[in-house]
Amino acid sequence: MKRSPMRPRAARPLRTNRPPRAARPVAAVVAVLTVGALVLGASACGGRATTHHKPGTSHEQAGGSVGRLLAADDGAGNRLRQVDAEGAPGVTVTVRPDSEDGWNVHLSVRNFTFTPDSVGGAALLGRGHARLFLDGHPLARVYGSWFHLPASLVRTAGGGTGLTARLYADDHTAWAVNSAPVQATASLAAPSTAATAPGEARPDTTVEIVVSHGRVSPDPGRTEIRKGRTVRLRVRSDRADTLHVHGYDKEARLPAGKTVTLTFTADRSGLFEVETHESDLLLTQLVVR
Amino acid sequence: MNVLAHGIGAQHDLPLSPFYAFAGAFTALFVSFLALGLLWSTSRFRGDRAGRPVPSALQRLADARATRVAARALGLAVALYVTLQLLLGPDDPDRNPGPGAVYVLLWVGLVPASLLLGPVWRLLNPLRTVHLLVCRALGRDPAAGRPLPVRLGLWPAAAGLLAFTWLELVAPDPASATALLLFLALYTAVHLAGAARHGAGWFDRADAFEVYSGLLARLSPLGRRPADRRLVLRSPFNGLDATPQLTGLVATVCVMLGSTAYDGFSDSPSWITTVQTSPLGRTTAATLGLLGAVALVAALYALCAGAVRLISGQLRHPLTAFAHSLVPIALGYLIAHYFTLFVTEGPRTVMVALGTDNPVPPEPLLGPGGVATLQVAAIVLGHVLGVVAAHDRSVRLFPPGRAVAGQLPLLVLMITYTIGGLSLLIA
Repeated sequence: MKRSPMRPRAARPLRTNRPPRAARPVAAVVAVLTVGALVLGASACGGRATTHHKPGTSHEQAGGSVGRLLAADDGAGNRLRQVDAEGAPGVTVTVRPDSEDGWNVHLSVRNFTFTPDSVGGAALLGRGHARLFLDGHPLARVYGSWFHLPASLVRTAGGGTGLTARLYADDHTAWAVNSAPVQATASLAAPSTAATAPGEARPDTTVEIVVSHGRVSPDPGRTEIRKGRTVRLRVRSDRADTLHVHGYDKEARLPAGKTVTLTFTADRSGLFEVETHESDLLLTQLVVR
Repeated sequence: MNVLAHGIGAQHDLPLSPFYAFAGAFTALFVSFLALGLLWSTSRFRGDRAGRPVPSALQRLADARATRVAARALGLAVALYVTLQLLLGPDDPDRNPGPGAVYVLLWVGLVPASLLLGPVWRLLNPLRTVHLLVCRALGRDPAAGRPLPVRLGLWPAAAGLLAFTWLELVAPDPASATALLLFLALYTAVHLAGAARHGAGWFDRADAFEVYSGLLARLSPLGRRPADRRLVLRSPFNGLDATPQLTGLVATVCVMLGSTAYDGFSDSPSWITTVQTSPLGRTTAATLGLLGAVALVAALYALCAGAVRLISGQLRHPLTAFAHSLVPIALGYLIAHYFTLFVTEGPRTVMVALGTDNPVPPEPLLGPGGVATLQVAAIVLGHVLGVVAAHDRSVRLFPPGRAVAGQLPLLVLMITYTIGGLSLLIA
């Protein structure tokens, strides 16, 4: 699992705040505050503690005079900042399941720049960051167009399928057009089952083999496979033949000149031979351990 | 086991991890030189004369006519059953117990059976029984016949072993009923003819399976003392020491070692590629590989014997005098290569024989780590037994001043075989 780049950044300054030899209760209080800061306020703390904000900026919401502040909020306590539809920021979100864990979320934005350096400052048109919500629960703040969403984060948020990406200004007001926040949604529905049970039915190793004129290319070798992973064999033979995986007793017909794919889970350890029956050629050996 | 994979034994052991191999090689080296320095300086093994007699009730049971007849009847019945299965059953090793019975139960099964009980194939051998029955029917003495030439020694058995391992490891379709029946028919014809000419003594020296079983039985704790025909419990070293020094003993041991080594490297993808793409054709290339492996083992042995002769001077048959010490090394190779095959395919063959159609082989007894440990332990233990046996023989044969120097070439040879065996398990 790849770790979100935000985590170490938030943790480092908070740790420097802790007194070096605090008594136990004090440490506990600090720890609680630390956790609290992470959950509630960490959204405000991006840089180092001392130079947290640029001169002239503060935590106060609704700084700057771009657009019009509405009385309505985004449902999470941040007021909406309405701008004209013409030249307003826009976002679309796409989600792809990751081969190892969770999803890769892609935000494609118009009239908008991610500005991690000036977060907390005054609102400037077309600048700021995005936040991700899962069925209304906040997931993460995003400072770029790509974000890896780990399955563990989805579980922590209580699960769900509706992923919303909403654009915010540096002062944490939500950009809005026609009284509605600028946002996009995508569904995590299909891949969530695959992600919650990692290690199942995904082709982890693909072996491509071509047989022509009784020669195997590439030359027969050994393919190392972790036990429990999925193997996909893609074989093409210039003569009609039968593909056979010994030990697993998997067979597939090989029509002449067509690429045939055989997928199975390597659930037994050992050295197994993959071969053709008619021409009796060894194609490769699978080392499952 | 490459070729077996086409019929019997679909799974091979994992290649050994270098850690196990290095640990094994280091142990072998360490023990070898420790033995050179610390072992006794006058011979201790007494060969045939050693042993503690088993309780007489056990001896009576083993020697009872009923036991002997039952064993012979069993051997004959199983042989008939297997032949009929091969003749009439489906020509598919998954549904016919014949190939498994020959390659796993007989060939591999003889190893544990001989190690535990002694030369069992002598008792079970259906050819010997057939010869016995025919002689009875004709009113002839089974033992009567022209004596075998002394020069022949064990050479017929070595040739028979080579032929069988060729069938197992090289022949185009070894698990097919045709190939097996052809081999069994030829083998039966040759050996019945030999026995008709030379009497039952022919089997003692010429029957490949009897000689194979007899050599492995040298390491059995159960033996028979020739002086008084008593069954005795004895140290495997004494049994080994009593191995008759016949012509052809070296050849037999070299075939055992070389064919098992070939079985190891014929699994490696590079050798399979060589065979599959050879312009000579597959069978020729594989035959050359098998012969090459046996020749390499034999050439190394001859080199070593030459060195022994140079150092010791007066020894007349240095080749044969130390051949017995290679038997434990060959046994180590056999265990390392065939343990998994035996424990998975053995029960499977029995299940097929009992009527299960294409049964699932049982789960392996040992995990990959266990098998690797067993393989290395078998090879290293075989090495240690071989070193000790050779040491005792050399202090008996050489004058005290030359005993240590005299066994050096043998020590080097054994280390070569052992490290070779370990590296075959890595490949």
